[in-house]
Amino acid sequence: MAEEKPSGLDERRAGFARYKKDVKERGKSFFPYAMFHDTVMSLIVVSVIVGLAVIWKWTSYGPHHDGLHKGLIGPEYAPPADPGTVSFVPRPDWYFYFLFYLLRIFKWPETVFLGTIGVPTIALILLLALPFMDLRRERRPSRRPVAMVAAVLTIFSMGILTWKGATAKEALASEVIADVPSWVTQEKLPAAAIPGAKLFATAGCTACHTYLGTGSSNLGAPDLTAIGTRNLGISFQIRHLQCPSCVTPGSPMPKFASLGTARLHELAVFLESSKGKR
Amino acid sequence: MAIRREPSRAQVRREQMLAAATYPLDWLEERSGLVGGVKYFLFRKVPSDTNWMQTLGSATLTAFLVQAVTGVILAMYYKPSPHDAYSSIQNITDHLTMGWLVRGMHKWGASVFIILMFLHMGRVFLFGAYKYPRELNWIIGVLLLVLGLTAGFTGYLLPWDQTAYWASVVGINLNGTAPFVGPWLAQFLRSGQEINGNTLSLFYSLHMLVIPAGIISLITLHLYLVIRLGVTSPPWSREAAGREVVEEPSTVRTGLTRPAPHGGASGGSD
Ligand code: HEC
Ligand code: HEM
Repeated sequence: MAEEKPSGLDERRAGFARYKKDVKERGKSFFPYAMFHDTVMSLIVVSVIVGLAVIWKWTSYGPHHDGLHKGLIGPEYAPPADPGTVSFVPRPDWYFYFLFYLLRIFKWPETVFLGTIGVPTIALILLLALPFMDLRRERRPSRRPVAMVAAVLTIFSMGILTWKGATAKEALASEVIADVPSWVTQEKLPAAAIPGAKLFATAGCTACHTYLGTGSSNLGAPDLTAIGTRNLGISFQIRHLQCPSCVTPGSPMPKFASLGTARLHELAVFLESSKGKR
Repeated sequence: MAIRREPSRAQVRREQMLAAATYPLDWLEERSGLVGGVKYFLFRKVPSDTNWMQTLGSATLTAFLVQAVTGVILAMYYKPSPHDAYSSIQNITDHLTMGWLVRGMHKWGASVFIILMFLHMGRVFLFGAYKYPRELNWIIGVLLLVLGLTAGFTGYLLPWDQTAYWASVVGINLNGTAPFVGPWLAQFLRSGQEINGNTLSLFYSLHMLVIPAGIISLITLHLYLVIRLGVTSPPWSREAAGREVVEEPSTVRTGLTRPAPHGGASGGSD
């Protein structure tokens, strides 16, 4: 980039005039030449879409008459939405995986904003500004090393983030609940904390929080192994669970008010009893 | 040799039929100029060396049209309320004739559309086609990409199943972490404090009215600019339109295997 100055506007105008002239003199007619290629490609696109729909239907619902069956490329639908039970791993569609995974890298509260808004906003601004930053007339990839390296790095990192997001191991409620007895011994939890521990294991908390190494850290959510040592208090815990963003402005943690006060109280007792490994 | 003869009966017949067949077109042309417009579109010149990578834009357009058609059909049977959404989706997928095909094409078409947008953008980047005078079309393209992703985000909630619901809970909360506007944005997307029927109505109207209207308007502008400015030649092509040709002594360039077509090229190839 350095050895060549940005081409002047006059040069760029002359170049475009030359382009128009060349196309007029040596160009081919859009129909049928270019349009033939376009038509073939569009037919391929439609066939791929129909093909995916067929595989989806035939392998999910087809053999079992059950749309919940996973099939080859995914179920027809998950169980109906239920705001009350959270034993479900929140997962976006695949093209947001990179963002989803990005959030494991940043930590609440200092940098989480970078992952959610910062990086995507910067990427968007860079994309919009690209034609104004790269003013050289040169279009051959072999002579645009900076642009090509930047492109390869971008594709590479988006690919890695998407792949990591896709293969991220999520803690399933059935697996997490098996760990509850070991929590009780390791943390010396009182009997009163056990219902809360089971709820914690099944209500989806481990989709974002880790506890004694169980669960996955998402959206920068803190590890809760020793949350009790902070002595936040039962009533704070309940208020936070009912509406995290009311207590901690901007918190991305979902509201759990629908669990009901009795169950929230059990959760709060469990959290306050969690004083770390003892 | 050439003796002028009276046109035969059959010839007269043929000419009359031709006139009758083109009459509607002539009528339309006289009143709208549309026929001329279509002719211009079809028979305009494009660079002689365009290649398969340059079909990705029209492939993206095709994917979008698939979404539009299947989306309109889905909207006839889908019910955007927490109580009915899930069962209407089940009904479409498992009971309506060909319903699975329409929903399947819409669901998988969304991914294909997004992949094609990225591939098309990659092609434009590789060709340096965002440069003068096509900067504006690149910007319109970036806006199309953002709107396409937003369409995906809002559509994901509509089946109102667990995946849909919890992905949206988290997605909306993520918007909430933005400084200043975050809480307001999250509140707006939820249409209140909780994700409920109001959220579903809002997402539905964004997904099937607001965003498609935006995408259609931007695609129209995008294609207008493509036709006005023309598409770029592959930059490495020897006969790239706009390529600066510098006469060089033939001994420099002519090799045993590849004689130089018309001198070497230097500088940019617009
Ligand atoms: C979608 C991700 C997510 C889920 C699911 C989630 N949390 Fe959180 N949690 C967070 C984030 C992010 C924070 C940090 C921001 C805050 O304090 O609200 C947090 C903070 C906390 C805190 C610390 C509060 C403080 O003030 O330090 C506790 C305790 C907590 N969560 C408990 C739970 C429990 C119990 C559940 C399950 C019922 C749960 N979380 C589910 C994301 C999540
Ligand atoms: C709904 C999505 C889109 C549709 C339907 C679409 C359609 C098209 C079509 C049909 C062309 C003609 C040439 C070709 O096919 O390659 C084109 C060219 C172009 N597109 Fe898009 N496009 C879309 C999104 C984008 C995006 C995301 C970008 C970039 C950010 C972009 C930037 C451009 C540019 C700069 C050109 C001119 C290329 C040249 O002259 O060679 N478009 N688009």
